[in-house]
Formats: sequence, C-alpha cells, structure tokens
Amino acid sequence: MAKSLAGRFTSTLHSEQVAAKLGMWLGVSFTVAFATGLFSHFVQHPPAWLLWPSRPVNLYRVTQGLHVIGGIATVPLLLAKLWTVYPKLWQWPPLRSAGHAAERLSVLLLVAGALFQLVTGLMNIAYTYLWPFGFVQAHYWTAFIVYGALVIHVANEWAKVRRHAWTRVEQPDRRRFLATVAAACGVAALVTAGETVTPLKRLAVLAPRDPDVGPQGVPVNRSAAAAGVTQVLGDPAYRLVVTGAVRTELSISYAELARMPQHTVRLPIACVEGWSVECEWTGVRLRDLIAAAGGAPDAFLTVESLERNGYYRSSEVRPPHWQDPLTLLALKLNGRTLDPDHGYPVRLIAPNRPGVMQTKWVGTVRVA
Amino acid sequence: MYAAGAALVLLGFAGLIAESNPVGWAVWFGGAAVAHDAILVPLVLLAGLALRRTGWAVRAAAIVAGTVTLATLPTVLALGRRGDNPSILPLAYGRNLLLVLAALALAALLPRLWELLARLRRRPRE
Repeated sequence: MAKSLAGRFTSTLHSEQVAAKLGMWLGVSFTVAFATGLFSHFVQHPPAWLLWPSRPVNLYRVTQGLHVIGGIATVPLLLAKLWTVYPKLWQWPPLRSAGHAAERLSVLLLVAGALFQLVTGLMNIAYTYLWPFGFVQAHYWTAFIVYGALVIHVANEWAKVRRHAWTRVEQPDRRRFLATVAAACGVAALVTAGETVTPLKRLAVLAPRDPDVGPQGVPVNRSAAAAGVTQVLGDPAYRLVVTGAVRTELSISYAELARMPQHTVRLPIACVEGWSVECEWTGVRLRDLIAAAGGAPDAFLTVESLERNGYYRSSEVRPPHWQDPLTLLALKLNGRTLDPDHGYPVRLIAPNRPGVMQTKWVGTVRVA
Repeated sequence: MYAAGAALVLLGFAGLIAESNPVGWAVWFGGAAVAHDAILVPLVLLAGLALRRTGWAVRAAAIVAGTVTLATLPTVLALGRRGDNPSILPLAYGRNLLLVLAALALAALLPRLWELLARLRRRPRE
C-alpha cells in the first residue's frame, strides 16, 4: 500500500504533545496581543462614557511594549507550531464530512489570520507599507477573526490540551526542540526590546528604533517637514488660543507662555509602534490654562495642531488627563527649547497616553 | 464557545468590509497562508534534510537563526527609511544581523570546540 503524503513526515517532533505545548504558549501570547491591542484601540477611540485614568504613568508604555515585543517574540513560536502540524495540511481525504470541513475552514482562518497579523505588524513597525489597505483597520478587524478562530480551535482541541497541559515532555528530541523554540523567542525579544525597555537599549541591534537617536536625542514619528508645518513655526504672530466653552477666551504669545509658571515633569513618550523613552518636559500645566480661561472641570478638550491635514492633527483630552498636574503644554524637552520635529513652539505631553495623542505644534485648545 | 468564536469571526469580517479594502485584504490574507505553506515550509523541510546528519546544536542554531531573521526581516531590509526623519530605522541592520548570526554559529560550534579542547589537553599526557 502506498504511504499517504502525511505519513511521510517521520520526525517524532510532528507530535500531538509538541503541538499542544506550543499551542498553549501561543494561546497566551495571542491573548496578550488581543487584550493590549484592544486597550490601545479604546484608549485612542473611547466611547463617550469612558474616562481612562491618567495613572499609572507608564501603563500605556508597558501594554504597547508587550504588544509589539511580544508579537516579535511570537514569530518563532507560530512558525514552530505550524511546522509541527504541517503534515495535517496533507491529510487524506482532505474533507471527511461537513463538520470536518467547517473545522478545517476555521483552522484556515486561524493560520492565515495569525500569519497576516504578524506580517502586517512587523512591517508596520518598520514603516514598510506595501499593501493597498489601511494598516490600522486591517490589523484591528483581522484580530477579531483570529481570536474568534482561536476560540473555536481551543474548543475543538480542548481534550488534547488537557491531556498534555501538565505532563512532562520526556523524549530528549522533543525537549530540545521546545527549548530551542523558547530560546528563539527569547533572542527575538532580546534584540528588539531595548527600544522600549531602556536598560536593554545596547542589545536592541535589530529594533526599528534606537531610543537615543533623533532630534535632541529622542526619536520622532512625524517630522515637521512631513506634517507640512515648517513654514508657520517661526511666525512671530503665533498665538496659543484657548477657546470654546470658556468664560474668557485666551490668546497667548510664545513669550507670554514662557513667562507663565513653568513646571518640569518626567514622562515617557510611548509610540503605538512599540518604542518608548522617558524624557524631561518643561512647560505650562494644561489645568492652569483651563482654570485661567474659566473652563468647566468636567469639560472635554480638543488640542489642535497647526498642521492643516493629517489623521492625528488633533487629540481629545478628557478630565482625568487634563486635570492631572503632570499634563503639560511643553515648551522644552530635556532642558532645551523643543526641536521643530518635537512640536515647537508648544506640544502636549500627558501620562498614560500613546504618542499619537501627544499633539505637536499646538495652536488651539478647544473646550467643550 | 463555538457561538462566541463564530460571532467574533463574523464581527471581524463585517468590520473589514465596512472599513477596509476587502479585495486587497483578501490577497494578503490568503497570500500569507500560501507563501507559508507552499514556499516557506518546503524550504524549511529541505534545510532539515540538509542538516539531517549534523548534531542537535547545529540544528537548534539554525532554527534560532532562521526564525529570528524572519522576525526582524522588515527592519533589516529597512525599506521604510525616509529622508525627513533619520530616527526611523537608524541602525546598520545588515551588519547587526550578521553579528547576531555569527554569535549563534559560535554557540552552535561550542560543544565541538569544547571536545576539541579536551582532546588537545589530553594529548600531551599520552
């Protein structure tokens, strides 16, 4: 009798036990990625009733670091798992029944979706956009497909997971293989994590960012040139305007702003793309400005950039954040006047908030 | 469980159809699976055959080297560099990857070097 194609894979590593162990680790990593991804999404697009706290200061920095570095470290894990179960792709007959067909369809969604999420995520942090869709929407909605297919897969394979969850792997080849995969995940994390875990920065030789490289020694996501604001930044007619639902509308020149009480805080700039770095910022407390203008304590603010277009030209600041004494309209970074790329003349900096919502080149604060 | 999973899958598809470019998305979604199953895994199987007679340390180093390279490939290729912002992809990634791979190769050869050293040390006494 001819051997089936699936039967030709003779390595003892193509085993249920190895697949179950790798699957459990993947379940943890995809759950962390889904949870931190949803957190990031709802921090940026909160429903009207949701007031995120401004503390802990580093919360967003940690969750997004986990999302990105955890995603990089998941690559060896996913590839190892798919290699382990690869013979099943060639099972014969390919479809035994309607139920079997449905199961294989859900596995297809899981496999393609998991690969899609890692490929698009890795390319996004490397600013390589070769696809015809928006990254944010595709990565966000595909996450639901992947996690839904994962829930179905776990339900299907629950008996195998229970069989192997707490058993020791005895066979030396399998032990070595699992240890090797763990080592690969560790190496992948180690050569990238320093872009957000600053003490490891010297090891971050394959990270898309170096936390010390950029204007004033701090990385930048959107430069003044890319935002098209280079021409307006030196304008002596610049005024910071506080307007909307206020008792007194404010229109403050840069010199007047610099004469107001200045505060210095240490806050991280934490990008959605996973890099982060703590800096020293000096400027005016946002709550002092709102108090001077006579805004209501439960007001929602919109901080608007001098940038004319752009997806992130303005950001909303809700009461927990603007009332926080750490939240500044900053004029200085690490003791020196802001570089144009960091938002000169004035930028927003607040705790526990992604970098895209730390609006640069601020011209208007609208109170509502 | 099945209902919850299916609901999440349907929600994802609905969102993609409403907000994304479904055709472009499908090409990349299916393309990821095809590229993996029809190109990457066959290459890995060939590499496995080629390394069949080596020790486990060499095979382990090859697994780490291959997966870490793939996990950092978009950064190493650095196609996303932009003139207006030198803080994006600022490092010499080709050189750095070679250094990482060299370190892995050294680690893979350590058991053999160890053996060799032990043999050399024994020899004068013979």
